[in-house]
Amino acid sequence: MDDNPYGFASADDKPIPYMERIRNYYTTLGYGKPYEWAHYSEAPFTPLKKPVSESRVALITTAAPYQPGKGDQGPGSAYNAAAKFYDVYSGDTSVDHDTRISHIGIDRVHTSQKDSNTWFPLPMLRQLADEGVIGEVAPRFHGAPTNRSHRTTIEVDAAEIISRVREDEADVAVIAAN
Amino acid sequence: MSLTARLLEEAGIPTVVMGCAKDIVEYVGVPRFLFSDFPLGNPAGRPSDKASQHATLNLAMRVLETAVVPNTTVQNPLRWSDDPSWKLDISNVDRMSAEEIARRRAEFDESKRIAKAKREGEAA
Repeated sequence: MDDNPYGFASADDKPIPYMERIRNYYTTLGYGKPYEWAHYSEAPFTPLKKPVSESRVALITTAAPYQPGKGDQGPGSAYNAAAKFYDVYSGDTSVDHDTRISHIGIDRVHTSQKDSNTWFPLPMLRQLADEGVIGEVAPRFHGAPTNRSHRTTIEVDAAEIISRVREDEADVAVIAAN
Repeated sequence: MSLTARLLEEAGIPTVVMGCAKDIVEYVGVPRFLFSDFPLGNPAGRPSDKASQHATLNLAMRVLETAVVPNTTVQNPLRWSDDPSWKLDISNVDRMSAEEIARRRAEFDESKRIAKAKREGEAA
């Protein structure tokens, strides 16, 4: 007899409960005070002023520029705190960039950091501009530090990113998180 | 990154977040979110799979354009694998031996030391 006649998915086949995993992980490792994520019950909303196909799109990334001399940065690298960065940086979107994510807590078992297009979609954004899906790519992309300090993120880094996105006269922003 | 999305939005710049940690992004609360049920590190599609990267960024642009309220999450229909067992591994202490936990503790202490030295070095 079929023990799953209605084709239900397995109980584990759901979005990973990262917050619970991470809390358990650090508690088990012996670090008492758990990380407190920022939390809001409401989110702001700004309607688009024009269609995406006429908009200038900014790309924001958590990826780091490759930094020779700062240890293994992949593919396949372990977590590399030395490759972290602490200031917003920007790059010219008309050329290609070598960005890495060895400084971020990604899944190192099931993905290998081989293809930067999976975390830094600048070439694909240019392709969407060529295809007319978006109006154009903003002249610069912006790199956001992952500092784990809410104060720094809000008061320093996000403020800097807003100012640069405005300077670039971007209409909208796509944010590739890791 | 979720905080940055909120602040850009408050500043009048519409945003869409592409990400793989559904619970965290939704806990912070963002205007528009394209969730890919992929291992962390792949918010923009599968590695070496241009078609999935194209579909994912295209969908992000559609989410940006069509969302009508904040806290909108759209799930990317692409699957990482037909076998969902990859989801059981990351940061899962139930699957780690005591030796593995001790090794990770030492590794974490070392990472914190490096980050602290770097921070202090850059501040100087």
